[in-house]
Amino acid sequence: MISFLARRLISSIVLVLAVSFVGFVLLSLASGDTAQNMLGQNATQQQIDTKNVELGLDKPILTRYVVWLSAVAQGDFGRSWFTGENVIQSLATRLPVTLSLVTGVMIFASIIAFSLGSFAAIRRGKVDRVVQVFSALGFGMPGFLVALFLVTIFSIQLGWFPATGYVPPQVSPGGWLSTVALPVIALSVNTIAGVTQQVRSAVAETLELDYIRTLRSRGLPERVIIMKHVLRNAATPALTVLALQFVGLLGGAVVIESIFALPGLGTMAVTYTERGDVPVIMGLIVLTVLIVVVVNLLVDLAVGWLNPKARIE
Amino acid sequence: MVHLEPAPARKKATSMQRRQFLVTAIATTALLAAVPAMAQEPLSLKIGTTVEPRSFDPAQAQEGTQIPYYQAVYDTLLLREPDGSLSPMLATQWSYDDSFTTLTLTLRDDVTFSDGTTFDADDVVASFAHFAQANGPQVNTVSSVKAVNAVSPTEVVIELKEPDPAFLIYLSNAAGFMASSESLGTESLVTTPVGSGPYLLDKDGTTVGSRYHFVRNEAYWGRKLPYDEVDFLVLSDETARLNALRSGQVNTAIMSSAAAGAEAAKAGFTLVPNESDWHGLTFFDRAGTLNPALGDVRVRQAVNYALDRHLLLESFELGQGSVTDQIWGKASLGFVPELDEYYAYDPDRARALLAEAGYGNGLKLTIPVTTIFDDATLVAVQQMLLDVGIEAEYQEIPLADFFGELRSGKQGMTYMWFFQPTDWQLINQFIAPDATWNVFDSSDDVIPGLMDKVQAGSDDDRRVAAQELNRHIVEQAWFAPLYRVVKQLFVDDKTTVVPQAEQAAPSIYNYAPAS
Repeated sequence: MISFLARRLISSIVLVLAVSFVGFVLLSLASGDTAQNMLGQNATQQQIDTKNVELGLDKPILTRYVVWLSAVAQGDFGRSWFTGENVIQSLATRLPVTLSLVTGVMIFASIIAFSLGSFAAIRRGKVDRVVQVFSALGFGMPGFLVALFLVTIFSIQLGWFPATGYVPPQVSPGGWLSTVALPVIALSVNTIAGVTQQVRSAVAETLELDYIRTLRSRGLPERVIIMKHVLRNAATPALTVLALQFVGLLGGAVVIESIFALPGLGTMAVTYTERGDVPVIMGLIVLTVLIVVVVNLLVDLAVGWLNPKARIE
Repeated sequence: MVHLEPAPARKKATSMQRRQFLVTAIATTALLAAVPAMAQEPLSLKIGTTVEPRSFDPAQAQEGTQIPYYQAVYDTLLLREPDGSLSPMLATQWSYDDSFTTLTLTLRDDVTFSDGTTFDADDVVASFAHFAQANGPQVNTVSSVKAVNAVSPTEVVIELKEPDPAFLIYLSNAAGFMASSESLGTESLVTTPVGSGPYLLDKDGTTVGSRYHFVRNEAYWGRKLPYDEVDFLVLSDETARLNALRSGQVNTAIMSSAAAGAEAAKAGFTLVPNESDWHGLTFFDRAGTLNPALGDVRVRQAVNYALDRHLLLESFELGQGSVTDQIWGKASLGFVPELDEYYAYDPDRARALLAEAGYGNGLKLTIPVTTIFDDATLVAVQQMLLDVGIEAEYQEIPLADFFGELRSGKQGMTYMWFFQPTDWQLINQFIAPDATWNVFDSSDDVIPGLMDKVQAGSDDDRRVAAQELNRHIVEQAWFAPLYRVVKQLFVDDKTTVVPQAEQAAPSIYNYAPAS
């Protein structure tokens, strides 16, 4: 286990270096005239030149990357070029928003998808067909449409939930729940549809296996067989899909974040990339890589726990 | 069996009395419960906005939609009233010398900053020095300043290199924000404003990039603004802004499109119209360096005649605005009402002018555009130009590179949205040979003389000169504006607001609860 973790740590460092370098180069080449954007459309050329020197943009890309990397190695991710905010602080403010959403989606979607998928696979027949039709519909339903529908009904007409904004849980747990409930539901629709299909197929396949027949012949109650043996086996592919969804949602929740005006990482990525705010985007890239590494590690550990064969491999 | 029958009249009276007593008791209880609640409930204004402040360092202050953030926590030397006139604020009096290059300001002596220090002339000197050195977005507004000297704690003399008719306006905008000299240059000023404004930033109630919460500055020296608290909710997505307005989360918000504005109006919100931007074409290459055709005034006039502005305004802005052929705004001295329809739609005239200029067989123009512009409007403009024989090709440029590309000297013209500032600002942004948007340094024999009169003339002379200059620019077809668009500012029924002349968003002082 220790050597496994050590290998993972080394590969993570290499991954962070490689992704950050590629990200830095792409960002530097694609971010356009950052100084002009900072100073506004009426800035003079002299102002723009001075700002470029202030930001170090007059230096070659490689030099700028080395300067950034040396600072990061000492724990200094710098400050936003546009807002002057400390990058770590800025990320720390937005990370909980996105984690609230993504974790909420994972929990909500898992409960619904495992219930529906298992139910469909066990009952088959009409129930199975209905679940499959709803899965297909859910898969094709754009999240932003669901979001707009939810806002119109539950925020504007009924007034049960706020239409926009985010309340941190430490300020008000109830307020936090009310601000993340609708976005989580809107984001969950696609995830539920995808994972339900995975769970259904995996449960159906597992139910056909010989050892399940053996367990039944030994007189084990059906509930125990399903909960202890079938679901445990069927969980592995669903877990992999959920992990992929988790990573995708980190940056992919941008439309939902915009509709609900949630200050998360998705909107941050879009806004700050458009502005060409290199320090913030580089901080975000490093953070995302680290999250991906941690999530993958946790999934590997979970799969190993669920499936001893995977552990041995 | 004994029947006990109560007297009906008496029973009725008792019932009524009981009901009355009950109603009175409930009403009294409700009132008693409500009075302290009403007394304690702070009066709050919630503004849905599209932008966050880049920094609370006043040297980094942006004007337009960002300025209310700064007005909440900083005072300016002069106050700009909603109609554009100037009033005292931190400076109680101001006067120029005869040459309009020495400005003397008399300052208040009863103002305290949020760090407890007292405002005086040294803070003005320090604020100006910091503003000039920090290279913020508005630093060019102090480019005419030669020196700022504190004569006494309540008197400052500002020397200018040359007359600057917009300088007093600048003192009511970003350049006029005064911060405690002890805070200037410190890192904390980025997130913690140290001003003397009517409100204080409540950092605990603020989520950077999402919500900015301000509470009343109880020690404020000036007129008490009506709201105890002001919240800015950053809602960059238009749907989010509309939803926030409809669900009562904000009292006011600006919609980006006329379509969203129509939705807000349909939902019962009140439009507070204000025209602060113009949309249209700008010719840069007026000497024909890149494209000889653009050097011919008849071609530029033909483009103007080819555009059916009324149709475009009705179709794509739902009639929310005014067609115009001038870039001077309604509040400026140089505005001439009849110039709004100088080039009335006349495609035959456009074709004739093109033929006269030698382009009767057609002409090709390249127009750079970027993602923020409405595609349907661009296609309609393209079609109208094609109708008179001008083949316009749009060149898509990423937004991040757009302004740099326009100013690179590689583009002869552009489609653009521009803000309409005051006369001298407008001249320095669009007309002067070294103006930011006079990319090819265009000029002629008429312009410098009129500019001199606007710069150093009396008020009447300035008005006449600005109008003459405006007329000359329209005749020379330096631009082909389409229309001034109405800013889609909406308020709910609890709020009133007065638009601010020549400013994209109302000042913080302009809001009040509806009576």
